[in-house]
Amino acid sequence: MSKILLVEDEKNQRELYAAELIDEGYEIDEASDGKMAVEKVKSNKYDLVVLDIRMPEMDGIEALGKILSRDKKIPIVIHTAYSNYKSNFMTWTADAYVTKSSNLDELKSKIAEILSTRNKV
Amino acid sequence: MKIKKALLHLSIYIPDIVLFAVLIKHGVFDFSRSDHRFLGIVFFLVKILIHNLVYLLCFVRPFTVIKDVLMQFQRGRYSMADNFHVMKSSVCFGEILELLRSTGRYLDNLIGSQNDEIEKFRELYNNVILASNSYFVVLNSRDEIIFSNKSFSANFRYIDDEILGLKLEDVFYIIPGRLSDAIENVKKRGESAVLRKIKLISKRKISLIADIKISRVTIQGEKQYIVVLDDITSQWRKDYQISLISQISESIQRDDEVERILHAILTAVTSGSGLGFNRAMLFLYNDQKKALTGKMAVGPDSMEEAVQIWGAVQNEELNLMGSDNESVPSASAGNAFYKQVITSSFPINSDSLLVNVFNGRSPVHIYDASADPRVDPETREFTDVSEFVVVPLCSANKSLGVIVADNKFNGAPIYEDHVELLSIFASQASLSIDSYNSLSLVKERMEHIQAKQEAIIESEKMAAVGRIAAHIAHEIRNPLVTVGGYARRILQTVKKAPKGTEDIGKAASIILHESERLEKILSNVMDFSRPSPLIREYNNLNDVVKDTYYLLKNVFQERKITPVLELEQKLPLVKSDFNQLKQVVLNLLQNAMDATPTGGKITLKTGLTETHIFIRIRDTGSGISDEVMDKIFDPFFTSKITGVGLGLAVVKKIVNDHNGEIVITNNPEGGCQFSIELLRPS
Repeated sequence: MSKILLVEDEKNQRELYAAELIDEGYEIDEASDGKMAVEKVKSNKYDLVVLDIRMPEMDGIEALGKILSRDKKIPIVIHTAYSNYKSNFMTWTADAYVTKSSNLDELKSKIAEILSTRNKV
Repeated sequence: MKIKKALLHLSIYIPDIVLFAVLIKHGVFDFSRSDHRFLGIVFFLVKILIHNLVYLLCFVRPFTVIKDVLMQFQRGRYSMADNFHVMKSSVCFGEILELLRSTGRYLDNLIGSQNDEIEKFRELYNNVILASNSYFVVLNSRDEIIFSNKSFSANFRYIDDEILGLKLEDVFYIIPGRLSDAIENVKKRGESAVLRKIKLISKRKISLIADIKISRVTIQGEKQYIVVLDDITSQWRKDYQISLISQISESIQRDDEVERILHAILTAVTSGSGLGFNRAMLFLYNDQKKALTGKMAVGPDSMEEAVQIWGAVQNEELNLMGSDNESVPSASAGNAFYKQVITSSFPINSDSLLVNVFNGRSPVHIYDASADPRVDPETREFTDVSEFVVVPLCSANKSLGVIVADNKFNGAPIYEDHVELLSIFASQASLSIDSYNSLSLVKERMEHIQAKQEAIIESEKMAAVGRIAAHIAHEIRNPLVTVGGYARRILQTVKKAPKGTEDIGKAASIILHESERLEKILSNVMDFSRPSPLIREYNNLNDVVKDTYYLLKNVFQERKITPVLELEQKLPLVKSDFNQLKQVVLNLLQNAMDATPTGGKITLKTGLTETHIFIRIRDTGSGISDEVMDKIFDPFFTSKITGVGLGLAVVKKIVNDHNGEIVITNNPEGGCQFSIELLRPS
């Protein structure tokens, strides 16, 4: 069972995504900001991180950098309400970019896609 | 009186009677003796005879003399010869004569001194008349000249009394209506008249501009008319030149004025009022042809035409630069002379006089073209006149061309001051042309900068809108996706749950639907703030139109709107972003459908112009008001109740990114047309 770290500062959203992803059959760990996410990545092993961008304490971009500088191989999906994040945040590269939507099909399919290619490797 | 005279007469016999009485008393003369008596009578008779001779001498002649004197007086001659001294001795007439003589001398002195006064005045008047610029003529009631002052005769080239008996129309080519009317008026009413700025050209080819005063006098019962011409030609010329120069410098403020400046220059040189040349030609340097080419010419073909033009100018108050007298240069624009000039060209590497003046940058005055070695055969043939001037048009740093001027028709000599004036004028005109050129250049650059600035402002505005939009969108999207996400979850839960929960499912579905709609709006906002993409592919615009049409095919049917596709089959491919252009057509098509009532028609057309390739979307809707037209592309402007106001802003942004243009026109038959015009690939 793949273990996913869900980083999202808004509780309501986090719970929604967690419930949906659990329904999909993933094991979910949660973090409410970038700092906590970096800590969790240090002490745990995750198959994938879903990372929001705008968060208090440490935002998603900084967290992305810290996580990747520690473990370059860990897949990260940026999940944000910004739709032009791609051009704005190019310093670090994530594996996928998904714009937040009430319809989580895109997020789910991206995660599935990434995890399946990982497992093959 | 007669008795008195007779007694006076007889008194002279008294001495004889006394003598006889003494002779008789002393017996010398014996009265009784007949011989004594006879001698006495003879003596007496002789005595009477002698006496009467004396009387005749002393008495009859003085009467004649006095009569003569009085007759002389009557004739106005008051001095008399001194040959009356014989009379002095005469007792009674000497005194009278002396009196007459002194009276005569007095009158003589009196008249003599008055004549001196009159002569003095006359001299004074003559001097005044001669010294002034005024020309006088006096006309009788039959309009014949009965007097002209020296200035008049001299100025209009008449010798002595040659002018007397002529009429004004014998002296001048054209008597302007204003002048003949004024003379008629003075004749009828007797009031003096003053006319300003009357232009006259004499048959002996003297032209002038004059202020004219006409007044009536009555001399010895006959009515006469004094016509005084004040020559204001040079004053007028100066005024004219000043106004011309100021008008030229004013006119260079405007864009399309170089032609006008050139016209004005030549008009100033000719027309007898500016510099007074008969003809003027302008040659400008043509960089492409590497030659001085004829640009313009003002001047008649013949003296007759010169006179006609002169007459035509009369009625225009001599304001040659005004807007309503374009006729002055154009009057000669169609003639042979004009054609000859504008078809002439002198190569810049030739040894033509014109080219030499152009290069030498100083004026040349040719007195005798046939003998002057500076005149090349071509120029000689071209000008066909012995005396002319060539003046360069040059500003501080470059030569622009030359002006050629002559007096072909009246053959008047060209004076140095005219050449000088022409040179000054030419240099001022050159400055004007030069500054016009610089000004145009500056204007052009200014416009360029302004356009850039506007573009920058526009893009800054767009960028700002984009940033704000992105921020707002982000802030809204977060709660929105939460709401939508939970609604979706409720919906899914309800689907699995037992019956009786349909109402909850319906409510959840509404929430989900609405939040999805909001998300779509947010996507539009995001599209708008998205940076320009790299356009790499070559696309067929017909495919863009067809793809979009198929997307909306059902909506056409739903709304009962007839789609018409007019696609040009031979369209070149255009470098573009397919999806973005689809977005453009989609937005425009949706707008068109919203504007078109049921039963309407929307035409989608593609095609080519010489420079552009276009997509046109034409509807049969309500059209666009001017007010709306101004704001139609502003972000967040909308005329729809549910619209966000970004559809057209997005369209504009995408079309701009493609270096294209959007042209909106209201159709005359109603509705409007949006035309997307992209540059045609070369």
